[in-house]
Amino acid sequence: MLSNNPTSHAGGRTLPEGEALLSVRNLKKVYHTDAGDIEAVRNLTFDLGRGELVCLVGPSGSGKTTLLKCIAGLLNSTSGEVRLDGQVITGPPKKMAVVFQEYGRSLFPWLRVAENVELPLKNAGVPKEERKRLVQEALEAVGLAHVPKSYPWQLSGGMQQRVAIARAVAYQPEVLLMDEPFAAVDAQTRADLEDLIRSVWKKLGVTVLFVTHDIDESIYLGERVIILSSSPTIVQEDILIDLPAERDQLETRSLPRFTELRHHVYAEIQKAKQGHRPEEAITMVAK
Amino acid sequence: MKTLKSVGFLLGLPIILLLWWWLATSGAPNFFVPTPAKLLTTFVETWIGERLITDVLPSIMRLVVGVLAAIVLGIVLGLAVGLNRTMRAVTEPVFEFFRALPPPVLVPVLMLLVGINDGMKIAVIISGCIWPVLLNTIEGVRSIDPVQNETSRSYGISGFARIRYQILPSATPTIMAGVRQALSIGLILMVISEMFASSSGLGFTIVQFQRSFAVPEMWSGIVVLGLIGVALSFIFQAVERRVLRWYHGLKEVENAV
Repeated sequence: MLSNNPTSHAGGRTLPEGEALLSVRNLKKVYHTDAGDIEAVRNLTFDLGRGELVCLVGPSGSGKTTLLKCIAGLLNSTSGEVRLDGQVITGPPKKMAVVFQEYGRSLFPWLRVAENVELPLKNAGVPKEERKRLVQEALEAVGLAHVPKSYPWQLSGGMQQRVAIARAVAYQPEVLLMDEPFAAVDAQTRADLEDLIRSVWKKLGVTVLFVTHDIDESIYLGERVIILSSSPTIVQEDILIDLPAERDQLETRSLPRFTELRHHVYAEIQKAKQGHRPEEAITMVAK
Repeated sequence: MKTLKSVGFLLGLPIILLLWWWLATSGAPNFFVPTPAKLLTTFVETWIGERLITDVLPSIMRLVVGVLAAIVLGIVLGLAVGLNRTMRAVTEPVFEFFRALPPPVLVPVLMLLVGINDGMKIAVIISGCIWPVLLNTIEGVRSIDPVQNETSRSYGISGFARIRYQILPSATPTIMAGVRQALSIGLILMVISEMFASSSGLGFTIVQFQRSFAVPEMWSGIVVLGLIGVALSFIFQAVERRVLRWYHGLKEVENAV
């Protein structure tokens, strides 16, 4: 299709034993409902190395949120496992933070901005002085140091999501999971928040798994993009994004390489929607 | 100017009613309805003095203790029941039954069980005030936002910390609605509990006046009850405004969109 194919990998990339920070192995999730079983996720295997920024992209209804909740320890998988630093995840791990799509419902409206950011630290028993410092730093990192005393609902949607990001950052996680965090904000705010994620990722060296349905966003943000098939979900393709490390909303998005990658991912998603499934991936993960 | 206006709104209708009452009673005296001036002097004579200490304060104490106990019990039980699906299913029909019982019918029962004392009167108040608090707490806890739950879980906020930081604050608007109902039920039950087998208290005194045809005194007792009700409502509003500042702000923002 393209003369210059991206470095791609059918099925999810795995790392040698012991090198992955987060590893997903043969993950399967079946929902049991009164109307019968629904297989949301069939078989997913991939690894995240320490410090990677990986985007998961897939057609709508491809079980992205299900996958993320299994990784976050909020949902039990039907079979297969997720390991963080070698430890099998059975509940929400301490070294993980989640940013939800519904920022308005994820922030506690009875707490002020700084209190929202502080709460997980307070609960974890972090001493007061250190808490204050972490909250201050996190709010500065997301550009909200000027509104610690506001309530979240007094802020715009984009600012609320910044508070949620600050809360996650202040928690000092090793892995930051983001579930379509910018799906509900307007396009301009979205561009700012994308740049914010890149800068936070670079500054803190945190490992980020970013779920989105937006192809452009996944390529612009990610160092690697995992394309999911439609439900029941498997990994359709796992590609490396060989764009320059310094991303810029105008420059990067107008690079020919960006366009090529975009074409490629778009075509894969279209294939996924039509029900194409890479047999190779299935046999590979099944071994 | 603004305060002047709000004072006007506050006192306007009471002044009109007073004037109307004064006009209606000043012409032909009616034995059963005293004039405002007569009621005022009777009020001062009757209530400012010994009765304040022997009757009014004990009544208010019982009311405060009963209502506070009902609120605490209602919230604690409501949390226990609301957080547990099985408990909810088991207890809800029973609660509906008890709630449907008019608390005054419990007065004779409690007189036998607890005896004729302050404890009985407080028990009557609790038995009526607990239901709105309890049922509203259950409802508030039950309808908690699933995204908030996932947030708590993913940040390891569980057990008592979760109740304190997430569940209670989130259920507070519903709980406060229950507390408001409990207050007015409490005032009614305070009076009723003192009407049976009692030798002091506001309810007892008012009944005494009525039976001895001390009509202006009886009216003045009713005024005392009204004043207590107004005071309770002001205290409630002040507390509610403080506790639920976030909630009213949030609603305002949501309604503006």
